Amino acid sequence: MIVFGCAVTQPEAYERWAARGIARASEPDTVVYPNSSAGSIFRAYNLLLETAAAHDDLEALVLLHQDVEIVDQEFCHKVRAALSNPEVGVVGCVGALGARSMAWWEGAVTWASFTHRYYEHGGGELPAFAMDSDQAPPPPYARTGEVDTLDGFLMVLSPWSVRNLRFDEALGRFHGYDFDFCLQVREAGKKVITADLKVVHHHSLELLDDPEGWVEANIRITEKWEGRFPGLGSQPGSGEDDWKARARRAESEAAAARTIRISAQMKASARERELQRELDSMRLSLSWRVTAPLRRLALRLRAQRR
Amino acid sequence: MIAFGCSITAPDVYARCAERGFRRVAEPDSEIVANAAAGSLFRSYNLIMEMVSGREDLEALVLAHQDAEIVDPAFCTKLRRALEDADVGLVGCVGAIDVRNIAWWEGSVTWASFAHRYTEHGGGEVQAFTWGNEAFPGYARTGEVESLDGFMMALSPWAVRNLRFDEELASQIHGYDLDFCLQVREAGKKVMTADFKVVHHHSLELIDDPEVWIEAHMRVAEKWEGRMPGIGLPNWGAPHQDWKQRARRAEAEAGAAQLERRSIELRAQARERQLQAELDTVLNSTSWRVTKPLRELSAAIRARRNGSRR
Repeated sequence: MIVFGCAVTQPEAYERWAARGIARASEPDTVVYPNSSAGSIFRAYNLLLETAAAHDDLEALVLLHQDVEIVDQEFCHKVRAALSNPEVGVVGCVGALGARSMAWWEGAVTWASFTHRYYEHGGGELPAFAMDSDQAPPPPYARTGEVDTLDGFLMVLSPWSVRNLRFDEALGRFHGYDFDFCLQVREAGKKVITADLKVVHHHSLELLDDPEGWVEANIRITEKWEGRFPGLGSQPGSGEDDWKARARRAESEAAAARTIRISAQMKASARERELQRELDSMRLSLSWRVTAPLRRLALRLRAQRR
Repeated sequence: MIAFGCSITAPDVYARCAERGFRRVAEPDSEIVANAAAGSLFRSYNLIMEMVSGREDLEALVLAHQDAEIVDPAFCTKLRRALEDADVGLVGCVGAIDVRNIAWWEGSVTWASFAHRYTEHGGGEVQAFTWGNEAFPGYARTGEVESLDGFMMALSPWAVRNLRFDEELASQIHGYDLDFCLQVREAGKKVMTADFKVVHHHSLELIDDPEVWIEAHMRVAEKWEGRMPGIGLPNWGAPHQDWKQRARRAEAEAGAAQLERRSIELRAQARERQLQAELDTVLNSTSWRVTKPLRELSAAIRARRNGSRR
């Protein structure tokens, strides 16, 4: 039996997206636990693990964010296939190799079969590179299989993981639970893998709404795991123990990154102004204004026809 | 005599921006030193300083980037006033206090009387907070600062004769301004802002060579830490001497900044798609297409009128 669990802070978001996807993917014996969550996702997920662990016939626990919608009709079939290897501890639809910190996307992403659907600026979709292989062939580096870490918006845990591991509540409230859990799985000798599970992530274009929380979590996780995994916590171009040189470089890189961020904001504003100017010049043109009654008439006729 | 100097790598840019500004504000006895760049900006500026330092009547040396255009008719008057105090070594139009590294804008900026004019995306202007003449924010004030933005700096005769840009920093351009300001202050002189109006004709790309910028950031911090208060300290969040904690925090901050930049780019792409869709709606509408001949006729009439005026 496959169990689905979700930590819900916004019931309407859960109903609109996660619940719909679970209903689409579920089987007759599927059990769903939508738990309310008041604090940390670490704690909420641990409660779900405890609950799922009680099922003797548990085949997998699917943990998903409330804004994640499974759109894969074969989801359960693919989950079973991925977990048929008893060495597999956790499965996801986005993963990377060479992850040295919580910023796993700075490693080599090998699989990403999801679409980021946003609602700002009239809405739109940003399909990741392995979402729609019929329309756009995936790049040569796309492959499912073993990775270092997953994006935690959808994680499928094996019964072994459910019964033997827990999210580390000491790390914080939200950020880093996925990276830390993947490291736990790997440290226990199990595998973290990606599978071609198709999902839609209904998410704002704001990727980081609390930078300070993210920074703190990254520091804590690096402190926890450094030395326990090769490369983890290291930085290219830095000596192992020369912390002063490493700090100098890191502070310089951070300042450069912040300045480039300002530049990106300026470029974005400039492009918006350019398009807005073009649009305004059209809409304020004499020809557009004098033909406004015709457009209104056409609109009315179309409405009447309907 | 007020001298103006510029290190030139793009003569057309110099002619369009810096030279036009120099000519606008120069006095009959002003000297303009327009040199081809001699390697780094550090070396080029030192050469200009050598060239004017022997002038007994030197009142100031204005060093401007080739893309900086002085647009202030009262520039020379304001400059003389700023240099009246013999303790002033250096004056600029953008400055900050609590500066800890070459990213001086991460300190507390007190004055910025410039406009950033760009040509990308149809062109435009970003006005700094004291560019206009009214409604300045409460923190706006001219006076003593710790560092200036080097795109326009005016040196006192004392600074011209006693200091040099540090070519040992081995950078092409980055960090020369903070390093020079620190030299001025270490020598007991003041670094000041004044209400000069300057247009900086510059791309929206603020750092086009991040690795070189990073190297300069590190070298300036190494050179000055411990010699001037605050320099080389972390921005926040980590004890000064705990290098491991500083490294951890800064590495995390860099990761967060990169993620935030990605957010900005995604939002920009989404907004662009939205506006492009609105544009397409207009362009593909019947009313826009059937009125095309009218717009073409109107454009032709305007062109003819403009032609006859010329």
